[in-house]
Amino acid sequence: MLQQKRWRFAILAILPTLAIFAWVRMYPIVETLRLSLHQWNILSKNKPFIGLANFRELFQDQLFLNALTNTSIIAFGVVILTVPTAMVIAGLIHHRTHSRFSGFYETSVFIPHVVSLVPAAMAWKWIFDAKLGPLNALLEFFGIPAQAWLFDPVLSVICIIVLCSWQALGYAVLIYLVGFKNLPVSLFEAAKLDGASGVQRFWHVSVPMLKPITLYVSVVTLISGFNVYAQAFVLASDSQGAPGRQVRVLVLDMLENSFRNYRVGYAASEAVVLLAIVLVLTLIQFGLLREKGRK
Amino acid sequence: MKTRGKLIDFAIDVFLFCFSILMILPLVFLVSNAFKTPEEIVAWPPRIIPSDPTLENFRSVLADTPLPLWIFNSVAFSTLSMVAIVMTSAIAGYVLAKFPFRSLNIIFILILATAIVPFEVYMIPLYFQAQALGVLNSLWGLLLGYLVMSFGIFLIRQNVMHSIPDELLEAARIDGAGEFWIFWRIVLPLLRGALGALAVLAFFQAWTSFAWPMIVTTTRNSYTIEVGLALFQTGFTVDLGRLSAASAAVLVPSITLFVILRRNFVQGVASTGMKE
Amino acid sequence: MRAYRSSNTKSGSTSFTARVAALSLGAAITAISGSAFAQTINVWSGYPEMAPFYEHVAEGLKEKYPDLTVNVEAIALREHEKRIALGLTSGSAGVTVIELAGSTASRYIENDLLPAAPEAVANFVTSSDNFGEFFVDAASKNGTVYGVPLFRGQGALFYNVDMFEAAGLKEPPQTMEAYTEYAEKLTQRDADGKATVSGWSLRLSGGGQGIAEKFWINLFQYGGSVIEEVSEGKWQANYANEAGRKALKQYLENVHVLKTVTPEMPADAEAFERGQTAMFIRESWVIADIAAKAPDLNYATAPLPVGSIALPANLYVNSVEGEDAEAAWAYVQAANDPENLVWLLDNIGWLPNRSGVDYGVVTEKVPAYGAFVDYPADYKFFTLPAIGPIEEVLTRLAAQLTNAYGDASLAEDDAAIDAVLAKAAEETNNILKREGLLAE
Repeated sequence: MLQQKRWRFAILAILPTLAIFAWVRMYPIVETLRLSLHQWNILSKNKPFIGLANFRELFQDQLFLNALTNTSIIAFGVVILTVPTAMVIAGLIHHRTHSRFSGFYETSVFIPHVVSLVPAAMAWKWIFDAKLGPLNALLEFFGIPAQAWLFDPVLSVICIIVLCSWQALGYAVLIYLVGFKNLPVSLFEAAKLDGASGVQRFWHVSVPMLKPITLYVSVVTLISGFNVYAQAFVLASDSQGAPGRQVRVLVLDMLENSFRNYRVGYAASEAVVLLAIVLVLTLIQFGLLREKGRK
Repeated sequence: MKTRGKLIDFAIDVFLFCFSILMILPLVFLVSNAFKTPEEIVAWPPRIIPSDPTLENFRSVLADTPLPLWIFNSVAFSTLSMVAIVMTSAIAGYVLAKFPFRSLNIIFILILATAIVPFEVYMIPLYFQAQALGVLNSLWGLLLGYLVMSFGIFLIRQNVMHSIPDELLEAARIDGAGEFWIFWRIVLPLLRGALGALAVLAFFQAWTSFAWPMIVTTTRNSYTIEVGLALFQTGFTVDLGRLSAASAAVLVPSITLFVILRRNFVQGVASTGMKE
Repeated sequence: MRAYRSSNTKSGSTSFTARVAALSLGAAITAISGSAFAQTINVWSGYPEMAPFYEHVAEGLKEKYPDLTVNVEAIALREHEKRIALGLTSGSAGVTVIELAGSTASRYIENDLLPAAPEAVANFVTSSDNFGEFFVDAASKNGTVYGVPLFRGQGALFYNVDMFEAAGLKEPPQTMEAYTEYAEKLTQRDADGKATVSGWSLRLSGGGQGIAEKFWINLFQYGGSVIEEVSEGKWQANYANEAGRKALKQYLENVHVLKTVTPEMPADAEAFERGQTAMFIRESWVIADIAAKAPDLNYATAPLPVGSIALPANLYVNSVEGEDAEAAWAYVQAANDPENLVWLLDNIGWLPNRSGVDYGVVTEKVPAYGAFVDYPADYKFFTLPAIGPIEEVLTRLAAQLTNAYGDASLAEDDAAIDAVLAKAAEETNNILKREGLLAE
């Protein structure tokens, strides 16, 4: 009787949330899967089921493959740049926890993560600008010829990686800081007694101990890297003066297919590919974590 | 030995200091450009401090664009999203933590499973839902994408499990307290810290959202600040000074807000790393 | 071919009858709905700079419709097209006057999403006093009139007279080959030989179909086109050929061999206004843009060697029933009043399509318009085909072109250029095939 009353409260309390959740989350996810199997064009009335034809077309679609490659390069590039840097910076900040500047370090490393994407991307667009940007001014100061950062096919991808890393770094540093704080002090004391230097302690104690955190940060960064959109949009946006090279990324290709070519079903199949990638990455993360737990 | 240690510490401080400056330098440039005259913006090499600061850029941006309206849209959207997420997460997190029924477990697994699906994957169908509801180009349309947060539910659930002992709830029940009263009077006050962190997190999540507002809003008056700024330059020739002025006008308050709320924020973000 | 440097005389005949006809028609339409209560119509435009014009038209309509509220929403073209697609399919738009290229409108018409124009409006459009056949066709589908022509995007060469004189060039280039020669002479370089002012600004980067459209304009001068209608309703890529090779090679030659322009150099109207490029091809709105932003610029315009793109924009209304719809059609009509059209040309710089209106007041004041309205008799025009996937075709071609422009190894290798074009054309044809539009 009491159990039942409690159950009733629980269900009633969670029902509104659950309803919203089903409506704005689960339904559209299922709908994405459904649409991906249809030739679903915004304008045409006839929206037939076509099985896996969208997916077959996808893997012959130059733009999609290009987008997939770019996005993967960006995502992995960001991880490679961000994770080691974050670990070192977090280690140093942790080491200087009692410095009167530690708050300043933490804040300024973290600010790029919270500022609005678009203004930040605009700042970078100017920095990379071939004619006016300070980056080329700096290069020329050192006698290196100026580069067409936003126009070269390789450099323009690098620009996006730099921009994304700049934004992702703060989050990674923060997570690492928590990790450092939770490391058992006794281990360091022992290593210190053994005569290990600061660098040795970092390399032989902190890095292995922080492995789960590294894994977590890598996967989170990777996944958000696969969702990159605003950065590519702003860096190449169509201002008349000097539009940059359009680095095609998955989300951009998806939105273009859906709202420009009106092929919603096709765009949905791209979304499903994105979902599959994210799922695989997450499963790998879980797998590695479990393996670690068993050892 | 000791002096050597101090020297190293000093070197680390210098390095970290330079690195921190480097991290905020792009934003400093942006703010500085906002005060430059058109001639100075194209001057080579670029200068950090404008030699002839002007407010002209701000004036013309305010005259040409509904910037205050965009900021209002963003603030309203972020605030409403924050309220919705805090409310749904608090209730659901509490129920999922303290009511061990099998049916609820299934719900929890469902929520957890969808948590990893990126927003970008399902935003197109969600868009058509917004269209069917007739809420495009409105605050409600924006809000539709940001009503719940899987991670928020998860965060509150963990918090309830760790910080609210079953005995406390049982004691209240024995005293004859109703379930709702318990939630309102006992659970919520104890969750204040976690909810604060979640609130800040939710607010900034909506504040920095881009893809969703970009597709939901197509009228100038319904843009959020992010979309407004991004599309500002796709129209006809816009000079960098005005663009920077608009950007700076948005950046400065949001950074200030962040610095004020830093502790909450750091706590919230740090807790995201703890889900394993 | 002439250069429009000094003011040229133009016949100043006003078609009085056309004006009377328009006025009486407008009056007839307003008479039906004159007693309306508070009414609201929207006007959607894809050109932000057109907003003052639409406001101006609304202002003029105040007298007849004192209670009419007109919401003008002029946003960037891509966003505009998106909202049309979504607004029309959901029927959520309310009574709206929609400015749209005929080529884009056709797919809405095919799906019954845009109604045919009321009879009185259709008669106005088809009257040969008012519009040339080209424009009537662009506003119709299968002989039925759906929209009312308003203005067109037409290209011409803009060149900096001072720079031409400094380079010893007396008149604008007459052939495409001459464009390259001119570009070389006009490029200004620093001590290291790097271009500081581009000789001929080309569209080499950016997102979307703009790159392909600009390429098409050059291609057209060589006798090619991106897609060509082979038989009724069946199309084919038409650039994997000599014309395509010449057009692409000219881009590559300028970028990689002669280095008269680079992708990262400031480009387009903005660069021209700042004296960062000597010449470029663009639509007439640049004239008004220059007048506003660089009034002291000493420039002139000239027709292109063979012909130009002409993209007619028409006004459509998403409804024909009810008082709001009547007001909307009256608005469309009013937009074509001679007074408003002259205002449009004078203040915005887009070319009105209606004939029989005396634009002399503007064209005599601003001789640069000459190249747009007073072109050689054999001047040819092309427009974007009215087929559904045209944007996809152009977007995908643009991606291929961007890659090609960046590939220095192509510049002197005809076989490689042909291979690039063949690959792109195959992609184009595949899209056409998918939509059942490919000519076999």
